[in-house]
Amino acid sequence: MKNSKKLLTGPYLFWAIAFIIIPIIMIFFYGLTDADNNFTLMNLAEITTPENLKALGLSLLLSFISTVICLILAYPLAVILSNKNVNQSSFIVLIFILPMWMNFLLRTLAWQTLLEKNGVINAVLSFLHLPELNIINTPYAIVLGMVYNFLPFMVLPIYNVLIKIDKDVINAARDLGANAAQVFTKVILPLSVPGIISGITMVFVPALTTFVISDILGGSKILLIGNVIEQEFTQSYNWHVGSGLSLVLMIFIIFSMALVSKYDKDGEGTAF
Amino acid sequence: MAKKLIDISHISKSYGDNLVLDDLNLFINENRFLTLLGPSGCGKTTLLRILGGFETPDAGNIIFDGVDITNLAPNKRQLNTVFQKYALFTHMTIAENIAFGLKIKGKSKAYINDKIKYALKLVNLDGYENRMADQLSGGQQQRIAIARAIVNEPKVLLLDEPLGALDLKLRQDMQYELIRLKNELGITFVYVTHDQEEALTMSDTIVVMNQGYIQQIGSPEQIYNEPENAFVADFIGESNILPATMVEDKLVKILGVNFPCVDTGFGRNKPVDAVIRPEDIDLVKPGEGLLDGVVTHLIFKGVHYEMEVTANNYEWLVHSTDFFPVGTEVGIKVDPFDIQIMKKPESEDEEAIPIEE
Amino acid sequence: MIKSMIQKMYLGLILLLLYAPIVTLIVLSFNSSKTRSKWGGFSLKWYASLFENADIMNALYTTLIIALLSALISTLIGTAAAIGMQALNNKFRTTMMAITNIPMLNADIVTGISLMLLFIACRAFYPSFSFGFATVLLAHITFNIPYVILSVIPKLKQTNKYTYEAALDLGASPIYAFFKVVFPDIFPGVCSGFLLAFTMSLDDFVITHFTTGAGVHTLSTKIYSEVRKGIKPEMYALSTLLFVTVLFLLIVVNTAPEQNTSNKKLVRKAPSKFSRIANIAFRRVVPALLVLVIVGGGFFYGAQNRASAGEQVVVYNWGEYIDPKVLDMFEEETGINVVYEEFETNESMYPKVQAGAVSYDLVCPSDYMIQRMLENNLLAEINFDNIPNLKYIGQQYLEQSKAFDPENKYSVPYCWGTVGILYNKTMVDEPIDSWSVLWDEKYEDQILMQNSVRDAFGIALKYLGYSLNSTDLDELQAAKELLMEQKPLVQAYVVDQVRDKMISNEAALGVIYSGEAIYTQSENPDLEYVIPKEGSNVWIDSWVIPKNAKNKENAEAFINFLCRPEIAKMNFDYITYSTPNTAARDLIEDDAIRDSTIAFPNDSELSRCETYQYLGTKFDEIYTELWREIKSK
Repeated sequence: MKNSKKLLTGPYLFWAIAFIIIPIIMIFFYGLTDADNNFTLMNLAEITTPENLKALGLSLLLSFISTVICLILAYPLAVILSNKNVNQSSFIVLIFILPMWMNFLLRTLAWQTLLEKNGVINAVLSFLHLPELNIINTPYAIVLGMVYNFLPFMVLPIYNVLIKIDKDVINAARDLGANAAQVFTKVILPLSVPGIISGITMVFVPALTTFVISDILGGSKILLIGNVIEQEFTQSYNWHVGSGLSLVLMIFIIFSMALVSKYDKDGEGTAF
Repeated sequence: MAKKLIDISHISKSYGDNLVLDDLNLFINENRFLTLLGPSGCGKTTLLRILGGFETPDAGNIIFDGVDITNLAPNKRQLNTVFQKYALFTHMTIAENIAFGLKIKGKSKAYINDKIKYALKLVNLDGYENRMADQLSGGQQQRIAIARAIVNEPKVLLLDEPLGALDLKLRQDMQYELIRLKNELGITFVYVTHDQEEALTMSDTIVVMNQGYIQQIGSPEQIYNEPENAFVADFIGESNILPATMVEDKLVKILGVNFPCVDTGFGRNKPVDAVIRPEDIDLVKPGEGLLDGVVTHLIFKGVHYEMEVTANNYEWLVHSTDFFPVGTEVGIKVDPFDIQIMKKPESEDEEAIPIEE
Repeated sequence: MIKSMIQKMYLGLILLLLYAPIVTLIVLSFNSSKTRSKWGGFSLKWYASLFENADIMNALYTTLIIALLSALISTLIGTAAAIGMQALNNKFRTTMMAITNIPMLNADIVTGISLMLLFIACRAFYPSFSFGFATVLLAHITFNIPYVILSVIPKLKQTNKYTYEAALDLGASPIYAFFKVVFPDIFPGVCSGFLLAFTMSLDDFVITHFTTGAGVHTLSTKIYSEVRKGIKPEMYALSTLLFVTVLFLLIVVNTAPEQNTSNKKLVRKAPSKFSRIANIAFRRVVPALLVLVIVGGGFFYGAQNRASAGEQVVVYNWGEYIDPKVLDMFEEETGINVVYEEFETNESMYPKVQAGAVSYDLVCPSDYMIQRMLENNLLAEINFDNIPNLKYIGQQYLEQSKAFDPENKYSVPYCWGTVGILYNKTMVDEPIDSWSVLWDEKYEDQILMQNSVRDAFGIALKYLGYSLNSTDLDELQAAKELLMEQKPLVQAYVVDQVRDKMISNEAALGVIYSGEAIYTQSENPDLEYVIPKEGSNVWIDSWVIPKNAKNKENAEAFINFLCRPEIAKMNFDYITYSTPNTAARDLIEDDAIRDSTIAFPNDSELSRCETYQYLGTKFDEIYTELWREIKSK
């Protein structure tokens, strides 16, 4: 009986090998060979050219800032949501998924309309006699775009961990003399670490590797590592270098996967 | 006379339309083991949570040691709670769990370490300091939850069905542990359970509750032997509850047969309920008892046989160490002091209702 | 309750952040003006034209069908896998979970690229395997399965495993037991997995971007290809409709009459017949109907537009570089189906044609790129017997073409023009006649530069007095430094967006192709175009047929059709780029435009201008490298 159940993993196993494992091996293959299929580390070394290093540095910086902002915004939000009664909160959680039905590119593009010099926000600001906000085509706009697009991926895992905390554990802490602040720092915060870690990786990785947001909100003035890789594939058509740079990126991704598996063993902090 | 420690007066609480506690009054003396007993939904847990400060009553006061604590936050109360599912902090070690309350009070390191050692010894878990909470078995977690509460030296320990999740053997062991603990610590335990055996074994005082009302307060013996109404009689152990008429003082007519009894003061020819515990019925030869019947069912229970005897169209539940095969004609005999007479319930609230579950 | 006030305000602010762009898009969908940043009054016209826009409806169809199929297939595979994994031993299960996490945690770009590499490798074994619907579907299933598995597993863990055994004990077959006992328990997880997969597929851009092929567009890739030149307002209308539908569904499902599952033990009222029916109607029928309408509608439009399979021609053209009506007319007249694909720069077009993952029949590159393609032997000779209308093309343009196509054997001119500065008369205070104005600090943040290597370097080289085909490393170095110096002043590097931004007064100066200048002037009379005195670039975009074209004769028929004067005139009216079709120019009614020096500059202006030449792989790389240095500064 058990054996026939195991067979159910067959299709997925096949699929995973064909479309997850082999493609990753392809990246390694291309990343570690040159145009004549000889082994080389030159493609990896491409990351050390000043331009690429700068793009990587800027990507790391912007995605770090975005992640921090997301965390600061998302945590109180998740706490507020988790205190709502169940029926209402499932509605509110859906509110976060709902924007995804309006295309991600269009949503980002809409920020362009909002942020432009003569855009909606500046129109409102000047109506209120406030100074203009000139952040379009700057790293600030990119950070805004990242925060906007990835905020739900920070809120949902934290929310999911928070609603699983037994109310009696919090009561126990209060019973033992902890005031509101102590309950938070000593019990709620440590217990929500799996969600926080999972949220951080779910924001950091896509922010680190995006090329669309920097394209649309950065006015093509700002080159992130994602843009470099995208151009290697679609414009320079240098797959070997592109794969090599992807491998470098994967180091960061593997690092975050390791982080998740360390702190979130039971998969509590999944977003969905 | 023991000192009155907690005075609960006129407490009401409802959730939406659901009235959970209705104008409840109760006082708890110092150094008692008091049990709140009742079926689920009777309001016992709500009352405990009001004591702990996790719920605020809609009306009424809680006076603790002469001070009104009705609206005091839980962290300011001199009570500690042992929660139903233990509610241990899974992200901390056992030692950190136990030290939690003491650290918040700013006790010295040495003091805390001493207390941890002492508490673990008290609950028979020395050497477990550095384990994580989720590595322990249910019974061990339970003891840690108790240790965590008592190191704070509360005047009252509130326990919310703490043994509910344990298996029978462990539960019995823990019952003795709890009694020992209470005696060693010399503090008041307020214990919530729906298990009447547990209540009878451990308590000094039992408060039987149903549907937000107190049905009876008394010692285990009183509750068992002299139930005040049919609900209590039915809830505490198995009994024969029979409609009867009080002919006069010390004489009750059950199923058309007059039984001598010891109760007085019910008036003449008043309808009452009579309770006869199955182990108080003596089976004798036909004609030698007050009425005759036939054994219709027989089950061996280990200590005794459980039998059903049909007599005067009533199926009497009888526990006896003597063996009477099915079909035997027997006589039923009850000593006068084994018959407990109860008033007929006047209001619906006091009516014995079948217990769900 | 100050605390709850603050909480509500905070919640409100976050919702504002999340929904501001969405409200913006909805508002834009009612904007009668075509440009994003100008309010031209309330209008429903985009909703009307949406349903006539075959491109968008096709993309919608593709998006929905891919989302539906990928969600279905991944739900099947994923649910089976999740159940099977329960039976695996710990070690295997952990390994499988780790593999499952790869597409979830891996960057989209890496997943997309890895799949692209895989599909390209497949071509080595099956040359007929090409990028398109199938590759996108495979990719979407791949990244959807993990969402399903991760939704189902928690439900499986909650399921009491003894109920399954109880069912077996009562004589049920394993399959019957599964569907009657286990499946109802995990059904909510399966549902949410399906919905998540559907949503993720709908919202994906990056992975589709790397795995799609000619003519297959999802809404995402369609939008991305339109980003640079301005989104078609129909797209806003479509998104609004989608969004409102989902919002409506959500509200209906959440506010439907409460099911009588309340835990109150008090009174259990038997649900009245009406409320039961209403409940079923709200929770099941209405959403199901809506989904049916949407999906059915998608199919309907898709089917309509795909009816004419068979003969086809795959065209690869610049964005917004043809009147869509011309395509319809051609299809109607010849019965040949046009698969139309757009590119943004010569540099991004070249590798796609070279790789041959998609075999295009007709491409429209610029002069120097044609030269490069010829040198790399990518082009087929055109059979001019099939193009009698070539006679309408002015002789001087064929002469000019000899610079890159010496015998006029490979190309037919389509559009031509110059590169110059578009400026807003109200925002500059001196006469503009020199590139130097693009380095004037006064105009910091008011300058829009072209986001293409050759144009950017061309400007710098011309400004320095060099040839824009320079291969002198010192000259190039100087140009690079100049461009780096300019970067802080530049508001954005853009391609087609210059148009919209100049119209909406976002910038004072922009480098633009002459063809765009005419359109922008008609929208914003304050704009003026000039070819700077240092000289500039004159370019020709011509039709060429790649060697691997599968429908060469159809391609030639299409070129011939485009050379027809009325058609060329229609195109000119629509795209406003100068036409080399002298017969078409004569058809222009408005003499202001017919004799416009922007559209048709005089010889003295043209004499200052140079045509780009292909400089060889080595200089290509040098230019690209220098450009990246500038960009990453």
